[in-house]
Amino acid sequence: MRLPHFDLHQPSTLEEAFSLMEGGALALAGGTDLIPLMKYGLEVPSTLVSLKRVDCLKSIARRDGGVFIGAMTSLAELASSRIISENFAALFQAARSVAAPPIWNVATVGGNICQDSRCLYYNQSRAWRLEKPACLKAGGNVCHAVPKGKKCFSVYSGDLAPALAALGAMARVEKKGGSRSVSILELFSSNGLRPFTLEKEEIVTGVEIALPAKSTNSSYRKMRARPSVDYPLVSAAACVTRDGGGKIEKMRLVLGAVGPSPALVYGAGRLFEGNTLEEADWEAFSELVGKDVRMVDNLSYPGSYRKEMVPIIAARAVRAACGPGGGEENA
Amino acid sequence: MKKPGKRLISLQINGMEYEVAVRSDRTLLELLREDLMLTGTKEGCDDGSCGSCTVLLDGSPVRSCLLLAVEAENREVTTIEGLAENEKLHPIQQAFVDHGAIQCGYCSPGMILTAKALLDENPAPSEQDILHAISGNFCRCTGYNKIVTAIRAASRNGKGGD
Repeated sequence: MRLPHFDLHQPSTLEEAFSLMEGGALALAGGTDLIPLMKYGLEVPSTLVSLKRVDCLKSIARRDGGVFIGAMTSLAELASSRIISENFAALFQAARSVAAPPIWNVATVGGNICQDSRCLYYNQSRAWRLEKPACLKAGGNVCHAVPKGKKCFSVYSGDLAPALAALGAMARVEKKGGSRSVSILELFSSNGLRPFTLEKEEIVTGVEIALPAKSTNSSYRKMRARPSVDYPLVSAAACVTRDGGGKIEKMRLVLGAVGPSPALVYGAGRLFEGNTLEEADWEAFSELVGKDVRMVDNLSYPGSYRKEMVPIIAARAVRAACGPGGGEENA
Repeated sequence: MKKPGKRLISLQINGMEYEVAVRSDRTLLELLREDLMLTGTKEGCDDGSCGSCTVLLDGSPVRSCLLLAVEAENREVTTIEGLAENEKLHPIQQAFVDHGAIQCGYCSPGMILTAKALLDENPAPSEQDILHAISGNFCRCTGYNKIVTAIRAASRNGKGGD
């Protein structure tokens, strides 16, 4: 498959990159998501701004009671960082669950967060897609996953964003002459057609996570068809604070691959507050977790099966977060 | 969009200095196979899933189908052609031959280069380390057991290390 023609800029400073983005260019990070999309003809940018030479975006550093991770930090660095493994087990496990080690060498934190949403009817070669009219996400007016569907049901399949959201991370978003700090969930529009709230010339330059409070632990669990080089079919990240007696004081649970954005489960913390894992009402938990989830047949496993697995994966994430070091690594 | 102009880049491939003119929309895989005729690097899925196009970039395995050729500027690339010395196979290649770890052979260049990166970093890996390292390289003949055996034989554990 040939890439479409495009002009490439390779700035070495952020200021240069911001100026180049003003002409409607697309930012290129590691390229492990964007390059295949371009090969499939799903993204056809006339100009790419590669951020690979912007060295100031490649670092993991302690800063003001938290940790700042530059957007161009590779997943390999994230997956071998002691600062990350000791403080943010959910993020560490999420990084190690992405694809496979050779992809970690190139893929980046910013690129993983900003990857496009996916669908069995969209992420296909041009020849495959020609057999059907273009779907909503490809610029047409039908949804092949849900006949007569009026909205796009593509699924956000990033691993890092649910973990970062459970950890309460903030994303730094910058453009020429301006910057803002938003929660990870605020980066998402909940619209599969255009999953992000970023303006055209904006770049996610990094994420900031506050160091966890005492007795706080986190975990990420992911269900997928094969144990490597696969996107999540359902994932869950939990961040749990417990008291000395093991009773849960606070919990934040975020689901991944259940819709066009990571989904915070409202009320999950309240349900468990003041209880140990054994005392918790797991039946009510299962009901709550699956309540607002609508999954359709647009990934490699049926939506009905994936929906049934949501409370199971979520429960695994919560239990693992209550184990030492966020539980063993993802199976 | 018209074809972008070519750019002159320098890179090192298998220990040799190259200066090549390449368009920004060409991948490293295309540069290696089509311009430099280094066809040992295989094109499989071409979207980053299978690992058959694996090369080493500054010693680390990467998918050459996902990397723009211009992004390899001033970097050191190792392809399967760079492993043997004259007629003598690299110990990992020899182990693959000795242990029948090659069936159709399409995944072999990527597997061997991934194994090289692993053994360069960890000369005595456990079986789990080997499985983890090659988890991104797919063998459609499903010959994984013999591949793991060959890598183990080439490692210090199998007395094949340095």
